[in-house]
Amino acid sequence: MKVSYFETGRYVLPPDLAREWPVAPASYDPETGVEAFRNMVERVKFVEALGFDWVSVSEHHYSPRILTPSPVVSATWLAARVDTIKIALLGPIVPVSNPIRVAEELAMLDTLAPGRIVVGLLRGTTNEYLSYDLNPKESRERTDEGMELILKAWTEPQPFGWQGKHFQYRTVSIWPRPQHQPHPPTYALGTSAEAGEFAARNRLGLGVSYGTFELMAKATRHYRDQCAHYGWEPGPDDIIYRANMILGETDDAAEAALARRDGQAAFPVRPGLRDALLAADARNVAGERRPANVGGVLPISFCGGPDRVIEQLRRCREEIGAGVVDLSLHDPGAGDTDSMMHALELFGRKVLPRIREL
Amino acid sequence: MAFSEGFVEADGFRIRFMAAGDGAPLVHLHGAGGMRMTPAHDLLSQRYRVIVFEMPGFGQSPDNTRTRTMVELSDTMGAAVTALGIEQFNLMGTSFGGKVALWLAARQPQRVQALVLEAPAAIRPAAGSRPPSGTPEEMARRIYAHPERLGPLPAVDPVVQAKTRALVDRLRGPDRDAELEHALRGLATPTLVLFGTLDRVIPPDMGRCYKALMPNCHLVLVYDAGHAISTERPEAFAEVTTDYLERHEAFVISRAETLIHP
Repeated sequence: MKVSYFETGRYVLPPDLAREWPVAPASYDPETGVEAFRNMVERVKFVEALGFDWVSVSEHHYSPRILTPSPVVSATWLAARVDTIKIALLGPIVPVSNPIRVAEELAMLDTLAPGRIVVGLLRGTTNEYLSYDLNPKESRERTDEGMELILKAWTEPQPFGWQGKHFQYRTVSIWPRPQHQPHPPTYALGTSAEAGEFAARNRLGLGVSYGTFELMAKATRHYRDQCAHYGWEPGPDDIIYRANMILGETDDAAEAALARRDGQAAFPVRPGLRDALLAADARNVAGERRPANVGGVLPISFCGGPDRVIEQLRRCREEIGAGVVDLSLHDPGAGDTDSMMHALELFGRKVLPRIREL
Repeated sequence: MAFSEGFVEADGFRIRFMAAGDGAPLVHLHGAGGMRMTPAHDLLSQRYRVIVFEMPGFGQSPDNTRTRTMVELSDTMGAAVTALGIEQFNLMGTSFGGKVALWLAARQPQRVQALVLEAPAAIRPAAGSRPPSGTPEEMARRIYAHPERLGPLPAVDPVVQAKTRALVDRLRGPDRDAELEHALRGLATPTLVLFGTLDRVIPPDMGRCYKALMPNCHLVLVYDAGHAISTERPEAFAEVTTDYLERHEAFVISRAETLIHP
C-alpha cells in the first residue's frame, strides 16, 4: 500500500473567526498566510523523510480551512523544494477551469518535475461553484467534457479544434507536452457512475473519498466492472481512498481525541443557501442517488492506535481495493498542528513500515 | 427550408439529388449507407444552395456495375455538378463520400473552393474498418454515439443493401491509398476534417493523418458525436462548417461575444 499525505496549508485561525462559508477576507492576516505556506514546505519535507510516497494538494476556495485555491501553484512550489516524494494534484476542479489551461499547466509541471507528478481531475464540491459563478446544473457535463478535452490536449499530436457542448476551441496545440507519455498518471476523482465509466474508458485510476468502506467499495466495484467492460483490469495503484485518520499512541488516546472533536463543520454554508445548492446539484454513488456534500462535516474513517489502524487499513485495501490512501491525520482546518505532527511521526514510525505489503 | 427532388444526367447516369437554399453552392456526397437527409442539411441551406446527390448505384437508382474506381465515381460526380450549371462549389463528403470528395478536389482543384469531410473513410486504420452493416439496431450502435437517443436507422430494403454493399466493396480501395495520399500532399484546397470523439466506424485518431498530409487542413473534433456527426450534433456540425466555408483558415479567430452588460 502507498501512502499520501493531504496537505491543506493549515492557516492558524484567529479565535473569534465567524464560522460561515465564504469567510470574509477582512479576517485574513497576511503574515499568518506566509507562515502557513512556510510551514507547508517544512511539513512536506518532514513527510518525505518519513517515507510517505505522495503529498497531495487540492483546490478549495474562499476560506482558511484549506488555503490552496490553486493546486498547480501549490504543487509547483512544493516540487521545487522536495526531492523524491510525488506531488499529487487532487486536483483541479474541472468544471470551473479552462481545460486547455489545465492541460498546459500540468504538462509544464510534469516537465519541470519529471516522473513526480500525479493528477486527479474532479467535479468539485457544490458550494465552491459559487467561486467562479458556475451553474451547478452544468457541473456534470462540463466535468465530463473538460476531462475528455484535457486528455485530448495532452495526447493529440496534431493541432485540432474542439466543437464541444460547453467548450469550443478552434486551435489546440499545446507545448510542452507531458514528459510522462502519454500523460502523467491520472485519476478521475469521484464516486459517481459517470466518474467510474470515464476512468475505465480512458484507462485512468479512480479516487474516492471520505465515504464508508461499504459505500466506497460500491463505487470501486462499479469502476472495476466498467474496466472489465473496456477490456482491462486496474491494479492496486489505480484506486485512491482519501480519508481522515485519528492516530494515537493507543486506541484509548485516539478515542479520547475523537471524543474531543467538536463535530461541527469548520465553515458551514448558511442553511438557506445550502438547501438551494442541494436542490441544484444531483450526485450519485455508482448510480445510486446521494445528496451532495455542501460544506458539511467529513467523517473519520480510521481511528485508533497503530495496530488497530493497520487493521482498518487492511480492511480498506480488501474492501475498497485502494492501493493508495491519501490521509489527513486531523480534520482539515483544525488548529492543533503540534498534535498532527506528532501523529504524522507516529504514523511514519509505527504504521508505514507495516502496511507496505498490504 | 424544404428540399426538393431533382434529377440530372451525367456520364450516362440519371442522378437524383435533393436541393434547397440560395447562396454559394455546397455539394454533398453521402456515405456508404446512401443518401440520408439530416437536420444539418436544413441548417446549412439557410446560408448555402445545398445540393445532396445520390451517387449512381445507391438508393433506388439502378445497379451501378459500370463505375470501377473512386476516381471514376469522382469524375461522374464532377460532371453531375457541371450538368447543373455550376462551375465552382464547396464540397462536403461524408465517410465513403469523403474519399470521393477528396478525389474530385484532387482532380479538379480549380473548381472546389473548400472541402468539408465528415468522418472521412479515405484513410482507415491498419486493423481495417468494415462499413457498418446488419439490422437497423446494429447499424445505429455502430454509427451513433448515443443510439438510445435516436433509435434504429430506417430499415433498408435488403436488395438495395446488397447492391450498394457490392458497389462500396468494389470502390472503397485499400485502407491506405498511396496514390490518393500522394495527391493530397499537393492539394492546397482549404479542407475541414471533422470527427466525432465517439466514432465507432473510423477511429477519430485518423483525423490527424489528413492534418499531417494536407497543406491547408484543419481538424475539428466534435465532442460526444459518433460517426454520423451531422445527425447527432447538427447545430455543432453546421456552425463550424458554415464558419469554415465563410472564413476558411481565419475561422480560428473567435467571434464569440462575452460582454454581459454594456
